[in-house]
Amino acid sequence: MKIKFKIRRYNPVDTEASEPYIQAYMCEVPEGMTVLEALLKIADEQDPTLSFRKSCRSAICGSCAVSINGFSKLACNTQVIPEFKKAGEMLIEPLANHTPLKDLIVDFVPFWRKMEKVSPYLTPAEGESAPAVTPEDEERVDRSQRCIMCGCCNAECNSLAIDENFIAPAALAKAWRIVGDVREGNARRRLHRLSEEHGMWDCVRCVHCTQYCPKDVAPLKAIEELRSSAMKEGITDNPGAKHVEAMRDSVERFGRLDEAAMTFKTLGFLRSLGMIPFGLRMEKHGKLPRPHIFAQIEELDEVKKIYEESERRAKEEKRELASRKKGW
Amino acid sequence: MVEVELRYAYYPGCASQEMTKEANETTRLVCQRLGIALHDMPKANCCGAGLLTDYDYQLYLALNARIFAEAEAMEMDIMTICSTCLMVMSTANRDLKADPKLLEKTNEILSTAGLRYNGTINVKQLLWVLAGDYGLDNLKKKVVKPLNWIKAAPFYGCHSLRPSDALGFDDPEKPWSLDAVIAALGGEAVQYKGKTKCCGFQVDLVAPETAEKMTAVRLLDGKEKGANAFVTPCPFCHINLDNYQGLAEKRVSQKISMPVFHLSQLVGLALGLTAEEMGLSRHLVSPEKILK
Repeated sequence: MKIKFKIRRYNPVDTEASEPYIQAYMCEVPEGMTVLEALLKIADEQDPTLSFRKSCRSAICGSCAVSINGFSKLACNTQVIPEFKKAGEMLIEPLANHTPLKDLIVDFVPFWRKMEKVSPYLTPAEGESAPAVTPEDEERVDRSQRCIMCGCCNAECNSLAIDENFIAPAALAKAWRIVGDVREGNARRRLHRLSEEHGMWDCVRCVHCTQYCPKDVAPLKAIEELRSSAMKEGITDNPGAKHVEAMRDSVERFGRLDEAAMTFKTLGFLRSLGMIPFGLRMEKHGKLPRPHIFAQIEELDEVKKIYEESERRAKEEKRELASRKKGW
Repeated sequence: MVEVELRYAYYPGCASQEMTKEANETTRLVCQRLGIALHDMPKANCCGAGLLTDYDYQLYLALNARIFAEAEAMEMDIMTICSTCLMVMSTANRDLKADPKLLEKTNEILSTAGLRYNGTINVKQLLWVLAGDYGLDNLKKKVVKPLNWIKAAPFYGCHSLRPSDALGFDDPEKPWSLDAVIAALGGEAVQYKGKTKCCGFQVDLVAPETAEKMTAVRLLDGKEKGANAFVTPCPFCHINLDNYQGLAEKRVSQKISMPVFHLSQLVGLALGLTAEEMGLSRHLVSPEKILK
């Protein structure tokens, strides 16, 4: 099957290519050919100046991530024909949220800087020996260990697209790899740092990272784990954690979300005052949420029992872990 | 006429019982017209909107299993009108169905409240019911006022598409359901990049700058492609795109003035229900100027 590849090209040192442009190549694609194989074929037979990163060809090295028809994928484990049939075209571009250096090659320095920010190595607590790792302990961080640093998640991250300082999913998944490890001695301090501005609470839960990770790392799951670890450690002096606390309390008291209380508790008194003019505008359209003093679900008692039992279990787990650490 | 009687345990979600009441009220009217039976779930608690997942995963699973147990007792699948409820419930349901041990552990917690979930429930949203169970051809037959005046930007939002292994109805890369419903109602669906992207709702209060910029980017994207309105199946997307549009405009110092419809409102208008019945005066950006 002959397929037209539209490839976004760019070369800052060539005056004619210093603005990104699309170049088309016709390529004969047999059944099963991957996007990487097609790129290699085009570079080999038609245009040796076409630049892209690649190495292992087996979805292990993480070098060849590109945007294929608008979504971030590894070129080496994406087949051309099914992609082409679905999208009706074959558009290859450099990863989004990354600065192109030449053609499909992007600058990975910001990616590594974010990774460095979370100090991606275990730091045992001083004077304390680490507990033995059980299979269950390993399972908790197992998915986050599969990361091959390809950058697909950061390229898809909707929050990073708006705020380039956001720590972003790749580094957060790595942070959970460390924080979730029973041998780590500074989890608390790490969680404090991750709770700062542009940190883990700035994730918009768009689920792109988990959807497009080629290794099933599920960065969003890691972010949820980090956040609930911070909550359990009592690191709640920030709007993100306050928002979660407000939700927890609201559901426990009413069985439902109390929008008025959520806003007030998350923003605090002063910032809530700042919302008054906007609130008045909402009120004009009947949109200002009322507090749920009387609105509650039937059989609320069941919800309270579920809370009690879950909390009892969470405490038990925490005690167990503490005694294991002590025993070593 | 629909051959099989469609009935669902109806879960409007918290937002549509308060801030976006109009989504709930118009869904009830529309379903009545279409002959889709909605049965209330008076016991149903909040799904946690993702925030309880950030607190305690096991508590989140148990609370969602409590919702499923109620639907199980009603012997009906759940229909929601909130994409976030859809995603949150579907993810819990996926995990519980995939792992018998996890289901058992969750049932141990539920048993303290005298409840049990057997893993037999499916969760859907209005969009899927219209495009799937009800069917586009049946929907087309009910249209009395084709929406030939609308060039709608279909805003799927995140949680009706991803994670697709838990949701499974539409294609996250090439979604079709909302486009197809707009077309069935006689409207035109405008194509733009942001249709699968995020409105920013989850960080409205936590990182308002990110949220407001994101909302502005989405609306401007659709506007640039010629949309005269947005339509969304999710009340949270509606809150950001409509309620907070003013804040978004301020953040990017640009006037947008884009009316935003709930999916149910658009269906209702095509079925011949009035603007008043569709609660359009509750919107902060008035759609009046484009209505015909």
